[in-house]
Amino acid sequence: MAIEIPKNLSELPTRQTRFVGRGIRRVEDAALLTGRVEFVDDVVLPRMLHCAILRSPFAHARITRVDTSAAEALEGVVAVVTGEDAKRWSFPAQSSPDGWGIHCIAGEKVHYVGEPVAAVAASNRRVAEDAAELIEVDYEPLDVVADPFVAMQSDSPRVLDDQDSNVMMDRIFTWGDVDGAFAAAPHVFNEKFRWNRLGANPTETFGCISEWDPMELNLTIHGSIQSPGMFGLGRAASFGLPSNKVNIISHPHGGSFGGKGGTRGCDISCLLSRKAGGRPVKWIEDRGEYLLSGGSQAWDRHYDVSLAVDADGVVTGLKVGLVDDLGATGEAYGAISAAKPLAAFTGPYTIPVAQYDLKLVATHKLPCGPYRGMGPPPHFFVLEQMMDIAARALGEDPAEFRRKNFIAPDAFPYTIPSGNEYDSGNYPEVLDQALALADYPALRAAQAEARAEGRLVGIGVASAIEPGVFDWNAYAIVGMPGTGVPEGATVSIDIVGMATVRVGFSLEGQGQYTLVSQLVADYFGYEPESVRVVHVDTQSAPPSFGPGGSRLGVAITGAVLGACERIREKMCRVVAVLMQTEPENIELMDGKFCLKGAPGAEMTVAEVAGTMLGRSDLLPPDIDPRPEATHVWTAPGRTPADEEGRAKSYLTAAQAVHVVQVEIDRDTGMVEIQRYCLADDCGTRLNPDTVEGQTEGSVVQGIGAALLEEYVYDADAQPLCTSFMDYLMPTVFDVPEIEKVAVVTPSPFTPLGAKGCGEGAIHTTPAAIMCAINDALSPLGTSAREVPAAPARLWKLIREANGGG
Amino acid sequence: MTTNREYTLRLKVNGDAYESRIDPRMNLADYLREELGLTATHVGCEHGVCGICNVLVDGRAVRSCLMLAAQAEGREVRTVEGLAEGGKLHPIQEAFIEEHGLQCGFCTGGFMMAVCELLENNASPSEEEIKDVVGGQICRCTGYNAIMRAAHNAAAKMGAGGSSAAE
Repeated sequence: MAIEIPKNLSELPTRQTRFVGRGIRRVEDAALLTGRVEFVDDVVLPRMLHCAILRSPFAHARITRVDTSAAEALEGVVAVVTGEDAKRWSFPAQSSPDGWGIHCIAGEKVHYVGEPVAAVAASNRRVAEDAAELIEVDYEPLDVVADPFVAMQSDSPRVLDDQDSNVMMDRIFTWGDVDGAFAAAPHVFNEKFRWNRLGANPTETFGCISEWDPMELNLTIHGSIQSPGMFGLGRAASFGLPSNKVNIISHPHGGSFGGKGGTRGCDISCLLSRKAGGRPVKWIEDRGEYLLSGGSQAWDRHYDVSLAVDADGVVTGLKVGLVDDLGATGEAYGAISAAKPLAAFTGPYTIPVAQYDLKLVATHKLPCGPYRGMGPPPHFFVLEQMMDIAARALGEDPAEFRRKNFIAPDAFPYTIPSGNEYDSGNYPEVLDQALALADYPALRAAQAEARAEGRLVGIGVASAIEPGVFDWNAYAIVGMPGTGVPEGATVSIDIVGMATVRVGFSLEGQGQYTLVSQLVADYFGYEPESVRVVHVDTQSAPPSFGPGGSRLGVAITGAVLGACERIREKMCRVVAVLMQTEPENIELMDGKFCLKGAPGAEMTVAEVAGTMLGRSDLLPPDIDPRPEATHVWTAPGRTPADEEGRAKSYLTAAQAVHVVQVEIDRDTGMVEIQRYCLADDCGTRLNPDTVEGQTEGSVVQGIGAALLEEYVYDADAQPLCTSFMDYLMPTVFDVPEIEKVAVVTPSPFTPLGAKGCGEGAIHTTPAAIMCAINDALSPLGTSAREVPAAPARLWKLIREANGGG
Repeated sequence: MTTNREYTLRLKVNGDAYESRIDPRMNLADYLREELGLTATHVGCEHGVCGICNVLVDGRAVRSCLMLAAQAEGREVRTVEGLAEGGKLHPIQEAFIEEHGLQCGFCTGGFMMAVCELLENNASPSEEEIKDVVGGQICRCTGYNAIMRAAHNAAAKMGAGGSSAAE
């Protein structure tokens, strides 16, 4: 039986929603604030050992000798593993593109600084680290390539011996008559950009406890794991185990933002557990390991972009050339980040044709992984700079230039050249709201005054799309097969009428358990605090992907409402039997099942549940007596990708306009953000407070990206940022007041009209800040083309523009 | 070097007296977490930058990852476990809930202990004084503005007599 998921709030079985659509106290908070939430490092198992990993100091070297004897002899050491164990007991990591994975511990060669070469399991972490220091490794250094342009040359040192070159992929995707559009355009603009490596840096690093059962060949892993289902499949592949032999127990974790990789360290702890006879082995990545060699780094990009514009200032074509330095292997799925821009390639604009010249290149750096936004934020940084370059050249106001090129509100659903379909939007309204919030004319007037005083004040207006509810088909071009990402939930009502919801993902910070409790509370007439939301391991959970790709809010809403609908249908049948009528005469409203047209003839949810469980003898045999249901939701209408990567991929398209004012200090190159205003439209806001929290946090990550954060490597691919003294995380001193206004254009395709919004503002913030910086620099005749716009870079530009150097 | 429990540590944590035989190189964060099972103190960077592992030692906020447990000899340590009393949240915890001052909650203990030190020594701190304290901490989720609001809210609550500072 097809289940209809409510498409808007008025379809919920309540006269007035009390919780969904409102900000409420989060059900997660009391336990988090009192330290009663069990993070993985809080877990202690009987006979548990602790792992420390020895890592390569060289970016490229042959390993000629590994001597573990002194480590093995140390009191407290139980097991030591090396590349030989990894080769014997595990497979090379799966990768994207395929064939670019290596074993979790280096064998003959190391490929980047920080690559594991051996690991120890010991009675505690201190002993394990002592033992790791006693392992002797002889290296024969080899030539290093740290520059992707050098790496692409045929005489470059090769990163992986079994590959013919360092080019993982080299393909041009063309959507429409791009050459024709550029040939016909009276204005063509071309520019190069650089986006330097940065990354997620959740406050909790990755951690796990792995337990290898040597008799049954089961593998049980506790961990701070963002996507437990996927993670379990990956470990099954690593060890050649059937997928149902791997059980993942994901613990609440201290953020992820995509950067909770940890697969390599986890596989090492599994090897150690196996070697230690099945004793559990805990590995807690420390911050140094995370920064050096964790799931920490993303987006190391070199762009060459062209924009074609007609005589009326309408953009008629976009070409994006990207050389993406993915580091040594494809194991961390950095390639997906290069594919995801297909979901929103032309941004909020009507650009009719586009081309993507994509080169994925291996170098001797840490393999790139995911980070919040998964690739579009740098793409929108370059697209928005090009929009400003064009507007400036044509003498148009950047806001109005964008408005002219926006997709019109009545044009949705709208298919973009790279194949995805945007669900809905009202971009001119969002622009108007942002400009009004900022009082844009007053900002420009103040800027004119500041410029007259010789101050470098700039205003940035930028707009971007946040693709929401990801689908694998978006990444088909880098070898990710498949369409459809299931999310399930099980809603159970017990014999006294209390509700429990079992989900397949653990707490991560977005307030998803609160959302689940809001939905069930409004559906069946509970208070949110009385709805219990629990996470279950992958052996017991309904199918689940968990958070990622701005999907979980929408997907879990579909799953929970679907399960509620199933229970409602079942209960309507039960009540109909008890009231001797047909199910269609029974209606659920505000927690009561009522006989239509007969006031007072009603049963509460608790009464129905109690009857089902306590008096199932009263029910006809074809009624399942459990007041419980599971629903698995997948995004409707998704399509496999065609040869050029075109697919209906991400289900929703949220949109935002940010207006930023900055001032650059001429003497130091420091950027001060003086105003930060934004309007955004992510459809129905199921919990406006948590949406706002996501937006605020994402703006600040965007500020970090634009101004602070960078993993610097030297020419020998030695990482220079391995502590928070070198990798600059934003603090409160970097954060302006963030003024916000919400526009709500519900999605026609999703439960309750909500759109994905978890990744949020980072799509727009770096673009907007860089637009503002370049607006500030424009009187000097110079511009910043590199992110982050660190003081030293801007100082140099200003100095050169003034004739210094 | 292996584990060598050659140091006898005596201290008070959240009002309770402890005597432990410990490895002299053990830091205070590890001592609280591993030896006493007080796992509300989280460790974020282990090099003193993020402030997530803050605890109060004789009323002063310290990075427990940078302090040896042995240095807490004879001192009074307070941790997040010592904030809520009798099943009732501390005003700082209430303020963080009301202002959505947390998302994942991993860093929050460090912020709360830093704010606790401030508010127990300064009943009506200025915006700049609060910012100075919040600025010593790293949070990756919230973007800080909600934490600033939580700190102001907590100051108002504690100033209004909800304080546990009088103990």
